[in-house]
Amino acid sequence: MDLSFCLQLLLNGIVIGVIYALVAMGLSLIFGVLEIVNFAHGEFYMLGAMLAYFLTMNAGLGYWATILVVTAVAVGLGYVLYEALLGSLQGEGFERSILLTLGLSMVLQNGAVFVFTTTPKMMQTRYSYSNVSLGDLRVPVMRLLALGLGLLAFGALYLILYRTRVGKAMRGVAQNRDAALMVGIDPRAVSRLAVAIGVGLSGLAGAALAPVYAVHPLMGFSFVFKAFAIIIIGGLGNVAGAAIAAVGLGVLESFVGGFFPLVMVDALAFTSMIAILLLRPQGLFGRGVRV
Amino acid sequence: MLRMRRTVAMAAVAALAFSGFVGAQEGPVLIGASIPLTGGVAMFGQHSRWGAELAIAEANAKGGVLGRKLEMDFQDNRCNPAEAVKSVTQMLAEKKYVAIFDGLCSSAALAIMPLVERAGIPFVVANASATSIAERSGVGGNKWTFKVNPTDGSMLDALVTWLDKDGKAGSIAFLGEDTDFGRAGSSGLEAALKKRNRKLATVDFFQKGTADFTPLFTKIKAQKPGLLALYAVDADFQNAIRQWYSMGGGVPLTGRVLVDQVPKEIMDSGFLDGTTSVQPYDPSVDTPGNRAFVEAFKKLHNVPPILVSFESYEATKVLIDAIRRAGSANPAAIRDALATTKLPSMLGTTIEFDEHNLAHNNAIILTIKGGKVLVLGMSKT
Repeated sequence: MDLSFCLQLLLNGIVIGVIYALVAMGLSLIFGVLEIVNFAHGEFYMLGAMLAYFLTMNAGLGYWATILVVTAVAVGLGYVLYEALLGSLQGEGFERSILLTLGLSMVLQNGAVFVFTTTPKMMQTRYSYSNVSLGDLRVPVMRLLALGLGLLAFGALYLILYRTRVGKAMRGVAQNRDAALMVGIDPRAVSRLAVAIGVGLSGLAGAALAPVYAVHPLMGFSFVFKAFAIIIIGGLGNVAGAAIAAVGLGVLESFVGGFFPLVMVDALAFTSMIAILLLRPQGLFGRGVRV
Repeated sequence: MLRMRRTVAMAAVAALAFSGFVGAQEGPVLIGASIPLTGGVAMFGQHSRWGAELAIAEANAKGGVLGRKLEMDFQDNRCNPAEAVKSVTQMLAEKKYVAIFDGLCSSAALAIMPLVERAGIPFVVANASATSIAERSGVGGNKWTFKVNPTDGSMLDALVTWLDKDGKAGSIAFLGEDTDFGRAGSSGLEAALKKRNRKLATVDFFQKGTADFTPLFTKIKAQKPGLLALYAVDADFQNAIRQWYSMGGGVPLTGRVLVDQVPKEIMDSGFLDGTTSVQPYDPSVDTPGNRAFVEAFKKLHNVPPILVSFESYEATKVLIDAIRRAGSANPAAIRDALATTKLPSMLGTTIEFDEHNLAHNNAIILTIKGGKVLVLGMSKT
């Protein structure tokens, strides 16, 4: 077996895994704090990519400025989403949240088809066609930047959750909403922030990946279902678990795709999810405590 | 008195029925189309619609057919056989359409075929390329289905003839989407190679909507085939070609490479030089008919036509010609007229259907040299 072939597969797997993690962490955070499965999460990723495309290609904004603007807009969108829709669901039926976010997903997806058309777009940056080579190994610069942004986002989220009072409040609300309220935490403010961060991460993922993948209104659909599998594997609501599961799945998919037919790769996330549900229903890193 | 009342009532009913009949006769001649307007290949659906609408507009500008205007109703099938069945069943139940058009995706067209056969209404396939559509049509099969575009089998045979001439058909790896389109590409290439005592080096399929091709390309590069036959469309094609570029390629591409949709930066870099592709159409084909078509299309939509736009345009013209020659909107008469079609194509041939209701238009063999797409030649399919 060729060593450089295996190293290339490993490298590809880590990059795609961190990309999965960017989407999955936000989904996991929202579920952890609000117990809402956000089916529209993929559409925020798509909107982030669309906005990044238009800021770069039409408004002439640079890559880093685009990343910042898209993330800020997505955070704002998260606030609006919570205030306009999700806030009213607090304590309501789980089914209602599914129907609401599924409906929102359809509206956003078809709205994007109507406004942007279905023609796939390719975002160009200075580094779109540049690679970093190390011997036989090659990684496109834009993927490395997405990898860096993913790691940065994970680090920032970890620090917020475990090193700040706001993070402690989030974990408190996630563990026991009523008890958190009794000790003076405002669950509504915490939930609003969790949705804003979650949607912000999704927007960041869209902006980071717009130069990597074709941008089109249906791009969020396939990602979000894989993200669902990842957060179940990692342990529902466990952000760190979701990140580890995402990277693990990315590497596993890369090796399976490298040695077996690619169609098997798509089944991998869901067969792993089923196996985890059968053997360890709380997920690999689930301890009954969320976030 | 009673008899008189009955006579007046009968006359009134007859007058109403007659006026209704006249109204129906004076209304537009309706064609029902089932194409993907949403979903992963909606861009192709959009181009199919634009091509068909242009042919309809041109016919209406010349007075329509049978003294009536022509109209095409478009229903969405999302490139999904179940949705295609739903949309066509609904159209057939309305009994107002004289023919059904396209399907666009091979899986969708194959699902529509039994429906039109049961209903006894012509079905004109413009874009779906699966060889099995023609195999199941005409003699001993579905007499209502007519396929205007060439099959994958015939196009790939033309391509392999070309590649073999240059000694390049020895080691071809295949990569295609896991649909009837991709599967037809794999079996078509396999059959064309078998005729020359060769076989495919490797075969790989991917799910539609796959964003990341890096594991697969890593594998293919390690296998070092002579050529890589690519069967991908829309966003999948864009992702594949960009990732192939960023991984350094190293293997010339062939198959149904959408050379007109390669990002400009990649094309200009010369990275794809040596690619040999077969397509039913290319906008650069230099015939008077094609030049006029490209100009009219660009004027309307600000983008050049792609192969789907061309195929839908020409297939709609075939259908309009058949309705005109049938001299009536009766589906059976239109089917009989379709069977005797002799219409000049923009690609320089005459469109005629064989015993399997398949037209044999030219396939275009394209290559990329110095970052430019060149027509190597046309080959009858």
